[in-house]
Amino acid sequence: MMRGLRGFIQIIDEIGKALLFLSEIIKTLLFRPCRKSLVFEQIWHVTVESFATTAMAGFFVGAIMAVQFTVQMKEFGALGYLGGLATSGTFREVGPLLIAFMLSGKIGAFTSAELGTMRVTEQIDAIRCLGADPMQEIILPRFLGIIVSSFFLLFLGLLMSVFGGMFLGYSLAGVNPEEYVRHIPTIITAPSIATGLVKCFTFAVVLATICTQKGFYAVGGAKGVGKAVVSTAVTTMIAIVVMDWLTSFLGEVFLQMAIGS
Amino acid sequence: MSLKLHEVEVAFDTQVILKDISLEVARGEVFVLMGPSGHGKTTLLKTMAGLVTPRKGKVYINELDFATLGGAEAFEVLKKLGMLFQKNALFDSFTCGENVAFPLRETTDLSASEIQSKVDLFLEAVGISHAKHLFPDEISGGMQKRLGIARALALNPEIIFYDDPTAGLDPITSRKIVDLIKDLQKKNGSTVIAITNDVNRAYQMATRIALVVDQAIIITGTPEQTKKHPDPRVQQFIRGDLKGPLTDNLGT
Repeated sequence: MMRGLRGFIQIIDEIGKALLFLSEIIKTLLFRPCRKSLVFEQIWHVTVESFATTAMAGFFVGAIMAVQFTVQMKEFGALGYLGGLATSGTFREVGPLLIAFMLSGKIGAFTSAELGTMRVTEQIDAIRCLGADPMQEIILPRFLGIIVSSFFLLFLGLLMSVFGGMFLGYSLAGVNPEEYVRHIPTIITAPSIATGLVKCFTFAVVLATICTQKGFYAVGGAKGVGKAVVSTAVTTMIAIVVMDWLTSFLGEVFLQMAIGS
Repeated sequence: MSLKLHEVEVAFDTQVILKDISLEVARGEVFVLMGPSGHGKTTLLKTMAGLVTPRKGKVYINELDFATLGGAEAFEVLKKLGMLFQKNALFDSFTCGENVAFPLRETTDLSASEIQSKVDLFLEAVGISHAKHLFPDEISGGMQKRLGIARALALNPEIIFYDDPTAGLDPITSRKIVDLIKDLQKKNGSTVIAITNDVNRAYQMATRIALVVDQAIIITGTPEQTKKHPDPRVQQFIRGDLKGPLTDNLGT
């Protein structure tokens, strides 16, 4: 009982710390924005680092979605809608989740380790001692870089998923590529696009906040950096899944309200 | 620029590191902190530099209470402070030249060419101008110290903190570093607060010495006064005796 209570308090404590850190980042963004070149550098770094893996994962996700839908669509004789359904599913759900997991494993861990090393080697203290603001110099550019890159990577993953689905649709069910693409605009509606974009943004904010916060407050040498990286990986995965549920739930509520009114 | 600590207490969670520390360092002084390892010298130095917030007490820099300063005011004060860290804390992804250029680029309105000429000047002053385009891990420990000093001096600080500037260096290089610190202090008229456990180096550079021991500070005075200080802990430390009040508590 006591252990459960302690665990619960720890979770609340973690959420509180992350929210406080996020509020610090937002304050910095509003009142002491960083140089644009630092943000572009981070966008470039995150996008290039994750480009190949995202493209590959996107291709296979599209292929998997196509395989899953082919069986059902065949039964209803609606194979022509395969492209639309597979792409809509990818955009609404799998795409943002996939990008978030990819970034968490690669960029989240990298950022946390980089900042943690800077912390334990006193480089962050040095920045402050040299009259600069570490939030402005190193946190904000990384935070914005991860968020902006997430959208680039979402569209890249989506594009590749269309190719993956098209390839599988053609080779498995003989769906003509032209037909596969034709129904995509008819099935992907504005709410689907909004859902995908909101999810992508939410996951990116969660990931960027957690990985920068864990790295920034790392303590205790190499072991501390290791702990920060592991904690980043575990926390982001759990937080992303929880936020996925929350955004889906709220999205559904808003949709019902919109239909009702 | 002067510095004053009034009844400062520093604690991390439940562990009290420093208790009831009061001291004053006047403008232009070279104040050296010595003391056994793990007794809080670095924490005291970081508290003075505004990097550690005391749980109790006040830190005044030029009569200004550091804790009450807002973000922008605090950064203005921080610009007047320079610090050489124990392990140098050099930016390893920047070249030596970029390390020195960093504070100039971030906190001044100087043009790129003006920054470059200042970088050349500071690297020349510490004798490592040939290493401008090398990365910190490509130069020796002594050169890294010099680079750290050049970076700490880049904004012409009025108070400079040196955390063990001669640690891990051979006697000749450490002598050169101490001479460099003294020369630069004389040239700039800045206030220097340094940590060292090398008693001879402390005597060479200090105008006043203090011993940080058992969460407290014993201000022992000038090097001559320190040599004759009546506190047995001071005498044990400067003589390096294995037996005495400092080691009795450890059961050695």
